[in-house]
This record gives sequence, C-alpha cells and structure tokens, in this order.
Amino acid sequence: MVDTRPFLPVSSSDGSNPSEPLANGRKPMKALLSIFFGLLAVGLLAALLTSNNGSDFVTENEHDPLASSTTTTKSEPLRPLSRGPAAGVSEKSNRLFADENTVAFPWNNSMLSWQRTAFHFQPERNWMNDPNGPLFYKGWYHFFYQYNPHAPVWGDIVWGHAVSKDLIHWLHLPLAMVADHTYDKSGVWTGSATFLPDGKIVMLYTGSNAQAVQVQNLAYPADHSDPLLINWIKYSGNPVLVPPPGILSKDFRDPTTAWLTSEGKWRFAIGSKVNKTGVALVYDTKDFINYEKLDGFLRAVDGTGMWECVDFFPVSKTGENGLDTSVNTPDVKHVMKVSLDDDRHDYYTVGTYHEKNVTFVPDDLTIDVGIGLRYDYGVYYAAKTFYDQNKNRRVLWGWIGESDSEAADLQKGWASVQSIPRTVLLDKKTGTHLLQWPVQEIDSLRLNSYEFNHVSIQAGSVVPLEVGPATQLDIIAEFKIEKEALEKATGSNVTFSCSSSGGAKERGALGPFGLLVLADDSLSEQTPVYFYIAKGSDGNLKTFFCNDQSRSSVASDVNKQIYGSMVPVLKGENLSLRVLVDHSIIESFAHGGRTVITSRVYPTRAIYGAAKLFLFNNATEAGVSASLKIWQMNSAFIRPYPNLDNKSR
Amino acid sequence: MNKFICFSLLHLIFSFTFLPVKSRENSATLIETTCKTTPFYNLCISALQSDPEGPSADIPGLARIGANKVKAKATATLRQIRASLKEAKDPSLKTALLDCVDFYNAIVEYDVPMAIDAVVKGDPKFGVQGLNDAANEALACARRFENLPKSPIEGNNKVVHDLSAVVASIIALLL
Repeated sequence: MVDTRPFLPVSSSDGSNPSEPLANGRKPMKALLSIFFGLLAVGLLAALLTSNNGSDFVTENEHDPLASSTTTTKSEPLRPLSRGPAAGVSEKSNRLFADENTVAFPWNNSMLSWQRTAFHFQPERNWMNDPNGPLFYKGWYHFFYQYNPHAPVWGDIVWGHAVSKDLIHWLHLPLAMVADHTYDKSGVWTGSATFLPDGKIVMLYTGSNAQAVQVQNLAYPADHSDPLLINWIKYSGNPVLVPPPGILSKDFRDPTTAWLTSEGKWRFAIGSKVNKTGVALVYDTKDFINYEKLDGFLRAVDGTGMWECVDFFPVSKTGENGLDTSVNTPDVKHVMKVSLDDDRHDYYTVGTYHEKNVTFVPDDLTIDVGIGLRYDYGVYYAAKTFYDQNKNRRVLWGWIGESDSEAADLQKGWASVQSIPRTVLLDKKTGTHLLQWPVQEIDSLRLNSYEFNHVSIQAGSVVPLEVGPATQLDIIAEFKIEKEALEKATGSNVTFSCSSSGGAKERGALGPFGLLVLADDSLSEQTPVYFYIAKGSDGNLKTFFCNDQSRSSVASDVNKQIYGSMVPVLKGENLSLRVLVDHSIIESFAHGGRTVITSRVYPTRAIYGAAKLFLFNNATEAGVSASLKIWQMNSAFIRPYPNLDNKSR
Repeated sequence: MNKFICFSLLHLIFSFTFLPVKSRENSATLIETTCKTTPFYNLCISALQSDPEGPSADIPGLARIGANKVKAKATATLRQIRASLKEAKDPSLKTALLDCVDFYNAIVEYDVPMAIDAVVKGDPKFGVQGLNDAANEALACARRFENLPKSPIEGNNKVVHDLSAVVASIIALLL
C-alpha cells in the first residue's frame, strides 16, 4: 500500500541517467510528478498512522463495559423490556412488564396446561403465526398457517394445514409446503389463494430464498380431485417475481388474493416500504407466471413503515352478504387493510377503488391506511380474509400471539392461537366501521344456557353470575344505564382512553361497568370487559369499550395493559356485547362487532373450577341493569385427521 | 502554466491526505449514530467497535455482531452458573442457579438464534422480540437472587441484559 520508493531518484540505480536524454522542458514536469507522488505517499502513510487514534475506541479492559467485574456495586436495576418494538420506535404495543418489580412466576404444569384453548385453532405444539391461503373447496374449509415444526418460537417456517367442515371443528393434515427449494430455502412465508374461473386454485406465496431475498412463488394442488388438497406442487419456473427496482430485497412479501380487472387480467397487491412510507405495489398477470408491474402504488402513506399482509376486498353498501374479491360494482366500497410492522397492529380503511388509474382513495383521509381504525384493539395481527363461496360471506382470520413470557412458552411447548373466524360486513349504520362477528357455526358448540333478565347493579357493586364452570363461555349481554344519570352527569374536557386510564378500578360518573371474566371468588384475579361512558363539556356522550388485564393474574411476567377504543353508539342502541371465553383467550365484541378486543390472559388461581363470572358496576353516579344469555361451550376436539395413511406424503 | 499545475498538484496532494482519515471517521459514525439510538451507548460502542468487522458493517451487520456478542456472553455466563452450582451449598442459592440455567439455555438456544435468523431473513420484528425476550430472561434470572446475600453472576447478568436491550434497539431500526 505504501510506496516504498518515496523519492524517485533522478538517476536510476544502474548509474544511467534516464532523464538526461529528455528535452529540457520535461524536466520540471517529471520533478513535479515525483514530488506529487511522494507527498501522496506520505499523506497516505500519515492517514494510516493517525486513524488508529480514532475517537471512541475503548481498549482498556477496566473501562470496557463488556467485561464485568465482580466488584460491581448494586447499580441501577435491570429494566424490563417489552416484547414489542424497543425504545426508540413508537412504543404503542405490548409492554410485557409494567414495572421493575417483576418476578418470573413459578408456573406449574397445572397452570400451564389450563392455558390451552378448547375451541380455538392451534397446532398440537410449537409455534404458529400468520394465517395463509384460507379457502373453501369441495366441501372443506382449508386453513394454512405459518408454522415452526421445531420450537415454540418463530423460525424454520413452513406451511401447516388443517381442514374443517364448519370453520370450527378442525382436523390437522400433513404440512402443505416445506422449505425444499432454493427459492424458499430460508422460509415458506405468507401467501394467498386465488380461484380461477374453472374452479382451480393457484397459491401465490413469499419465499425467503437461499440468499434471504424475498421472492414470490407459485404453487398449486397436485391433485385437484383430492378434496383434502394434501399435496402441493411448486411451479418449476419459480420464483415468478423478484423485488423490483427501488424495493429492497427484504421489503417484498405477503401477496394478496388476486381480483379480475375489466380487461380480464388478474391483479393483486403486495406490501412494501420506501424509506418510512408504507406502500402497496400492484401487479397484473394473465397466467400467474408472467407479470407486469403497474406504475405507482395502490396506496402509500408516509410514516407508517413496512406494510405486511396487505388485504384488499370489496364490501357491499347495501347487502348482508360477502362479495367475491373481483366484484367492483357501484354499490360496493373497498377495504384496504395492512399489518404494520412498526407496531404489530392491523389497520383497515374504507374507500373507493378506481380501477382505471389503479388507486384506492380513502373516504376519510384522517383515517387513511395504517393510521385509522383497527380490526381489533388487543392482540391481533397478520389478518387475512377470504370469500367463502359456500355461504356467500367474507370470512376473516387473525393471528393471536402470546402475552406471557417466552420462558413460559418454552415450558408449555406451544405459542399462538388463531381467532375464531369472523364474518366481515360494512356497518351500514355508521358507514365507517366494519362489523366483525364470530361465524355462526360456533353456536354448535353451545351446551346448556343460563338466562339473566334485568339484573340491576348498583353503583359500586359486583354481582356473581352462577353459570357453573366459567372457562369456556359464550356470553351475550345488553346493558342499560339510568337515563337520569346520563343527563345529570357533569361533562368535562378530560379526554379518556382505555390504555391510559386506571382500568376498571378507576371510577367515573358513568362507568366503568360490565363483566368480570376469569375471576376467582375473592377477585384477586379478574379480567374486566367493560364500557365506560365519558361525557364531554358539550354534553356529548362518548362510549369506550375496554379490556383490563392489570389484575388478570397475580403473575407479573404477563401483559398487564388495558386495551380498548371508542365504540360508536347510535341513538336508540342499547349497549351490547358478546364475549367468548376460552381459557387463556378472551374475544370481546361490542355493538355487533363494531369494536373488537382480543386478549390473552394467564390467571394462576382463576382457573379450572375456581374461575367465576361476575357483573360489575364501578360507576359513582349511575345504576346499570343487564340482561344476559350465557352458554357453556363444548370443546371443538381439534385433532389430527384420522386414518390418513395412503394420502400422506 | 507550470505554476498553475504546481498549485493544483499540491492542492490534490493535500486533499488526498485528508480523504482516508475522513472515510474512517464516516464508518465509525455509523456505529456512533446507531449506538445513540440504544439505551446503553458505551456498551454498544464497545461491543461493536471491538469487532474487526464492526467499522465496515451496515446496520443488519451491526445487529448480527451485537447478537453474537450476546450469545457469547450468555454462553460464558451459563458456564459460570454451572460452575457455581457445583460449589453451592445453600439450597436456595442452588434453586436460583438452577432457574437461571433454564433462562440462559433459552437465551442461547432460542432467543439469540431466532433473532439472528430474523435479521438475516428480513423479518426484523421477530429479531426485536427475540432480544427483548433475552433481556427479560436475564432480568428473571437476576430477580431470583433478590433474597440472597449475593449473586455470583450479577455482573455478567447485567451485561447480558443491557447488551440484549442494545441489540433489540438496533434491530428495531430495520423495521
């Protein structure tokens, strides 16, 4: 590197003087050049030597923070961290440990095995995340999912597979796709199914290839006459799509179901980001093998970050049925949904799809894609819908992760469940919200029922509901609050939010009131699901729907946040809710599913026979009356498909 | 004309001498700017700069370097825990150490490998989660010694915790 001949001799070593024959005019030039190179060499040498004293090197062992000394004094306590985005990124989601006094709870097998759900989809063991390619075919509902066959943490991702006749009773099938090609060697990631006009299925999915580049691959059933769709073939020419110019190799995943354009081409979207702007790329194809990338984006929103699991579908403005993904008639609105990598939440926006210029325009820009309404204000991510042509409805799946510690997941040997599939409809009354509701087939799990009519709950009281075991329940309830209390209460300017409130124990004039789920007799553990009515200084009432985990368990290594959001309540509507309790998961729906909250709770005492159900009213000025119908829920007996022998790989 | 050439040559020489020094400062600056976003700046700087590939690494590279350091430190701490177990006489000390074996196994076998995997494959949210989990395991281990007179692994435990927090922070930049 360093020129070892810093000063070129004017005469060469063998004595001859090469410069002598040169004309006089070139001598100074040569001298100048030699000085130039000489000084250049010196300069380089100097640079090399001086750079070793660069600013921030820590070389002394005693000052090296990495080397711990045994004489460390009891310094600042270790700070607990959330399992969500670390400090520095918008910290809106799960903070696992609320304070520094957390202790890892000594979970025993009885407590841990209680946590397993009875009627929510989950594999027998290990890790699951995103729902993939849901569809109905030849009498069976198919569900595929991101699965780690080796551990209860994310990794080694392949496609799990299960089938059901009714979206509730699932039977496990062999893995549908594994990481056996260069184009998905590092992971068989999320994808969606599209039905061709002849009824055949194509599956587009993301592969993380051997170089960890995200590419899109085509797969299809090996045997379309097999109703169980056990075996899948990957197209020999994969990958069919690679990251386009301007898109980074790790920002290109989760293709949507395709929809037909009026020109007869298939069109689909795939989420990405450009710097911190979340975007949806659009492609057209005639054969799912050759693609044309369209200019621009279906939608782009600054500051939202990477868009994962984009979903795009029509909803009827007038009807009560779901719509095929290709429908685009005037009586239709479109919904664009994204999963935000930055905060692990799913957002949806209602708007208009303009096919000609390939854009989606939100009805209300203040709730644009990624900054507006959420499907679910609790734990819910990577959701995906499909059109169920069997019952003409659009059905929604969502991944529900754990809210406990990873150590507990390792101990119990599994992590994650899926939500109960929900129908999705546009809420005609508000026009802005979607209504989500558990599929009607779940009613088949109902066993004996208990009815309570006009139970009155005084301000500041708790009323037990005798329903027998209280860990597998379907609760439908309606609440009425004293009219005079609503009118008399003084309004205030204070803004309320579930997450920043004191939870169910913070008393207001007109709330909180609702249910205490998974509570023990002494209420040392309880999960309130409740309404809170806030009155503004202008006299307007705002209703909030919340789910309070702060006292859900005496264990401290579980999520203790309070989830929830405002729920629009229109004139003449009573406050209504539905709650599905299934061991460690609670799905709660306010007002027919206008606002939904799913949470994971891990009680240590309010389990098995000790779990009870209560009504509560912690308002200071209002009495409340409740009418409820409550069912014990049977197990769905989710298990492997029996006698599969000849059909398995 | 000669004077002009002479002058520009000298000018060039001087700019060349500064160039190598400047580019050195730029790559150290990526480590610096990255570490500034983490909760333990000095620890971050020390971990990243002490690796020969640190100064030339991009952010995913820095994340991998940091994660590997966590794994190395956790592995060493696990050895220390096992050694302490052999000598421990007090039963409550033994229990605490046994619990920490579980926590540290989780860090070494699951948390860090999962995080590195996630960074390499480009699904960084699982990387953030993996290292947050590691920090929480270290925290859980530390709490085991609360009612004991002293913890033989206190210092190492803190380093594992803090460094995990640092690396989780770095990976979050990739979201």
